[in-house]
Amino acid sequence: MIFSRNRKTAKIIFSSAVLLIVLASPFSSFAQVDNTALPDAPAPSLLASNAEQTQQNQPPSPAATAGSPQPSSDNQPPSLGDLGLTPEQTAGSATAQALLDKRTRMLKIHQRLGLLTTLPLAATLFASGEAPCNHNCGPSAGADLHASLGVLTVGMYSATAYYAIAAPKIPGTEKKGAIRWHEVLACIHGPGMILTPILGAMALKQQDAGEKVHGIAAAHSAVALTTATAYGVSIIAVSWPIKIKFWEHQ
Amino acid sequence: MKKLIVILALSVLPALAQSDKQWVLDSSTLTYHVSHPLHEVDGVSHAALGKGVCHAGQCDFLVAAQVKSFDTGDSNRNLHMIQVTQGAQYPIVSVRFRLPESSLSSATIICDLEIQFAGQTAHFQQLVFQQVIQGNEHRITGTIPSTLQNFKITPPSFFTVPLRNEMPVKVDVSWYSQ
Repeated sequence: MIFSRNRKTAKIIFSSAVLLIVLASPFSSFAQVDNTALPDAPAPSLLASNAEQTQQNQPPSPAATAGSPQPSSDNQPPSLGDLGLTPEQTAGSATAQALLDKRTRMLKIHQRLGLLTTLPLAATLFASGEAPCNHNCGPSAGADLHASLGVLTVGMYSATAYYAIAAPKIPGTEKKGAIRWHEVLACIHGPGMILTPILGAMALKQQDAGEKVHGIAAAHSAVALTTATAYGVSIIAVSWPIKIKFWEHQ
Repeated sequence: MKKLIVILALSVLPALAQSDKQWVLDSSTLTYHVSHPLHEVDGVSHAALGKGVCHAGQCDFLVAAQVKSFDTGDSNRNLHMIQVTQGAQYPIVSVRFRLPESSLSSATIICDLEIQFAGQTAHFQQLVFQQVIQGNEHRITGTIPSTLQNFKITPPSFFTVPLRNEMPVKVDVSWYSQ
């Protein structure tokens, strides 16, 4: 009697276990139906919302439209949509790239012209030694050379500034780093490059008239030095931090 | 009754063992390094997203970051980086790799990476990463020895001298399983 009862219990347990294994097995068609038919359990995790976004982002496959059973999307390799990246974030913009390309092109010209401008600037400063007079003032070749080099410097500087000002601005860019110093210093050498030739012209006029340079024109050299210093520091600032490692370069 | 519970539990275990596991990138620091005779530049991103899906003993991982999320500390340089890597046209850098599930608990992970960046796909074979497991967190560190050439990036130049071709990317990521 007892023996037959145990047999019955064992039969029930065995069949329950077999049924559970069959139902829980991932290869079971029941398991697949369950995965696809049942909605995802609500979960506050990132993955839950991402899985939803992926399904929205991905076009239905031909197999899905044919109504054949699909494996769970969880078994697929993850996609960008699974990570929570929206189509707007993943889609490229040729227009934005073209704008960046134009900006870089113009700033490269700005950089080259800016570096080249240091040559007439240095020459102008060098030639300034022959420009002023202390007595018997009048027209002089030294002053004319200094003035000519100054005009060349201002011309090249203006072209340099044009390429920086006209370069496209990228909206939403918060300025930080060395570029801020570069721009702050431009607020010094920019007005300086306007003021210096004006004062220089005044000084030259006074000198050509046989007068000693006086009044505001006397500030020409101080303004010019401040401008040149700010310009040089501005070039170094935008390149900062400089770590000279030419010997390691290949 | 006790026997019944034990047998039921044992019968369910194999099914549980086969259940799919998912991994989520918790925190990340990706740092690229470029070198110039006058400059050493590091661009850092903490904005990578990642997910791993395990199935039948294999795990597929995807890590992605927006190119513009890399910060060199200089907004002008960042924009130049985006321009030169065509970051506006290809705004995502993504890394895919597959690992056996059994290897996810070892201290050293060796894997092949497929990196999509700047409109190019580059493959890196047998890269070695270190793993430290603390509770549910798996912290993985290592370096991807990438170059500008891998992604057909024309080296930008400064004072007419181009950047070095090497562009190693340091990886420091923390994953947790779900």
